[in-house]
Order: sequence, then C-alpha cells, then structure tokens
Amino acid sequence: MTHADSAPGIDFEALTLKDALDLAVLIEEEARDRYEELAAQLLLHHNRDAARFFTRMVRVEELHRAALVEKREKLFGRQKPAVGRELLFEVEAPEYDAVRADMTERQALSTALQSERKAYRFFSSALEHVQHRDVKTLFTELCAEELEHIRLVQGELARLPEPGPLEATDVSDDPAPQ
Amino acid sequence: MGCGSLEASDFKSDLKPIWCPGCGDFGVLQALYRALAAVGRPPHEIAFISGIGCSSRIPGYTTAYGFNTVHGRALPIAQGVKLANPDLLVVVAGGDGDGFSIGGGHVAHAVRRNLDLTYLVMDNQVYGLTKGQLSPTSLKGLETVTSPLGSLEDPINPLLYVLAYGAGFVAQATPADMPGMAALIEEAIRYPGFSFVNIQSPCVTFGEEEQQLRAHKAKLKPLAKLHHDPSNPLAALDLARAYGRELYTGVFYRNPAPPQPYDALVRLRQAEQSKLATPRAQLLDTWLADGRGKR
Repeated sequence: MTHADSAPGIDFEALTLKDALDLAVLIEEEARDRYEELAAQLLLHHNRDAARFFTRMVRVEELHRAALVEKREKLFGRQKPAVGRELLFEVEAPEYDAVRADMTERQALSTALQSERKAYRFFSSALEHVQHRDVKTLFTELCAEELEHIRLVQGELARLPEPGPLEATDVSDDPAPQ
Repeated sequence: MGCGSLEASDFKSDLKPIWCPGCGDFGVLQALYRALAAVGRPPHEIAFISGIGCSSRIPGYTTAYGFNTVHGRALPIAQGVKLANPDLLVVVAGGDGDGFSIGGGHVAHAVRRNLDLTYLVMDNQVYGLTKGQLSPTSLKGLETVTSPLGSLEDPINPLLYVLAYGAGFVAQATPADMPGMAALIEEAIRYPGFSFVNIQSPCVTFGEEEQQLRAHKAKLKPLAKLHHDPSNPLAALDLARAYGRELYTGVFYRNPAPPQPYDALVRLRQAEQSKLATPRAQLLDTWLADGRGKR
C-alpha cells in the first residue's frame, strides 16, 4: 500500500511542514486507536496473549504520537490543524482483517511488523512527491524511524520460541456465535 | 484539505462490537462513521434500522437513533420511521440472509415505493450468526453444514434484483477498499431516493478463502477504471450479471434524473388534502349541522 492508496485526498506536492507534522500525528493516533480496538476484540474472545501485545502497541504508538505533538507545538504552537483523520485510511494501523480470535502472540507480532512496513512504504512513496525541503527532511526521519521499528519487532519475533507443529489455530474452536 | 464540523468519532457509541476479530463488518462500520461525518448530519437526525444477523448489530455501535428489529423486517419498519418523521436520515443495515431470504419480499416493495432510504447489505454469502449454513447468496457448490456435498442452488443476485425493480442508486463495495467504500456509502446517503449498496463483507469464521479480503484485493475491479457510465441502466444490468464471478466495485447505476421520493410525494398529498379538510375549529359545527350530532 502506498501513500496514494491510504491517503488519496492529500496533495503531497503541496504539503507544508505544519500539515505534514499534523498528518504524522494523526497516523500515530489512528494506529494507537486501532491497536486499542484490536486488543479489546481479542480480550472479548479471551485471547489474553495477543491482547496484551496489542495493548503494548497502544502505548508505543502513543509515545510516538506524543513526541510528534511536542515537535509540532515547538514549531507551530497551538495553530489549528488543516488536516483531519478523514484523509487517512490505515496508514500504520493494522487492517481489521489482520487479526483472528485465536491468533498467537507470534501472529500478533507479525501483524505489527506488517503495519510498520506499511508505514515505511507510505512515507517512502510519499517522499517521491514531496516538494517542500523541510517536509522531505521530516519524511526521511520518519522513514528511518519506521525502519528502526521494523528491526525492533523483528528482534522480538526472533526471541519468541519457534512455533510447534500445532498452532493454536489448529486446535481451537470457532468463535462462539454472537 | 480541511476538517468538517463532525468527525467520524462523533458517531461511535461506547458499545464494543462483538463480531469475530477479522470480520469485514468492522471495516464497514469504520467507513460508515466516515461517510456520516462527511454527510454532516448530527447523530440525533439519523436513524439506523436493522434486522437480525451479525451485521444487524450496527445500530448499537452508533450514536444515532437505532432499532434492531425482527428478522427480515428492517425495510418495512424503516419505511414507517421515514414516513413518521421524514426529516430523519434513515439508514437500513443488514445481511444477505436478512435482506434476500426472510426479508426478500420486502426489497421489491421498498425499491418500487422509492422512499429516501439507504439500504446497506453486508453480503458475506453465509449465515455466520448461526454457525455457517447456506445463505441466499451462497455460491453454487459451497460446502456448509447444511450442504456437506456442496450447494446445488444458484445464488440470488442482489445487484440484479434491485436493478430489475428500478432502484435509482445501486453500488457495490468491499472493505478491501476502505476509501472507496466510505465514498460510496456517502454517495448512497446523499442520493435522493432508495439507494442500495451491496457490501461484500467477508465472514472470517465460516467464509471461504476466496471470499476473504486478501482475495478481494487481488480481484476487485473498480467500475470507474472500466469507464462504466453509471447513468446507463442496460450497462449496469450487464455488469451486475457477473455477481459471484467478478468483484466490481463502485456505482453500477445512478438515475441521472431522480424522481421525487415517496416520502416527498406523501407530504405533497397531505398538504393538498389538508387544504380540502374542514378547519379543526369548525369540525363540531359541521357535525352538528348535518344532523349527525343528534341523539
């Protein structure tokens, strides 16, 4: 997924630094809220391991958001944002389809990994269209951060024990009818 | 760019959806919130009416008025709601079973009556709520608990069904294209008359692999890219015939000259009749004068 798929309403050539920072804040906010939703969904289905991981991701995305908000406030104070959440569609937020009631912690980590990769593709494809020098610098930094996050999640995945011949999905029941 | 006065979160209720994680309906709900924010009507001016099924839980997940009614009867109840309060924006939501099996008879009448309603069908091609039986849109050959050797029946084609009865707005969407789906729902709501969106919303628990979002992403064909003219009803019918084989998304048909919807005609009729009616203050006099008041 590129910038054109997940933010079709944004003209990246005309993007200012203030709008770009607001956009970056909203991307983290969207991801934070989605992880929160996914954690709640999994808790409802008694999948505590995956829910715990997604709850951790809520905190991680909130930290990223707060850092961007601080940067934005230093540069632009409390000026009203000109961009809104309605312009973004799952840039860094995992897609709803990425989770299952009986997913393992490893699968939850893989979901997060895919989402970080998605965010990296977003910023790197948008970079090709950005004109403003400061926005280019910001998006280059964000690309580097996403790469760092990818490495962190890959590291965590490597630390998990190798999956056995049977996954939880092989032995679990269908979700109860609601 | 810009921010509207209402945001998607204004339409989100505190109730947590209890669908299976991964269900396509989560994406539909998200797109619906966005479409409602774009339309800009506040929650108290909107009513969601649904039948029974997984997707029929949608009214509870919004801050608008909601009525989770009885199986297959969402459309008649929605028509009553709209006639009782024509100022409400009425959205009907349900599944393929609710709409085209038990409620199938109501669809034709809702279409021909043409009230200003939006009907969103979350078509997962299986009865998910009751654990995976054949639904009216299940594809031929589908193996389920009620068809262990594969279904022998052809599915109902929801697109052809509503087009054939003359619906003024017919579209199809999938959560595999969230921006497209949100835009289509918004367009359907804005259409002045009966509008129908068939949303191919996968069932992650009982649906087949080729019905999941990954498969949708690979095979979806936006009608706009095929240069389809949505004002051409014959072209729309032709494309709709491919239901079950091709995944076309976008507007199949939009009446370029929408007639007045039924609710507007009823208002006009009521205004005409009220001119002919005896003023309320004179009602008793009229009654006494023609002798009907005598004991």
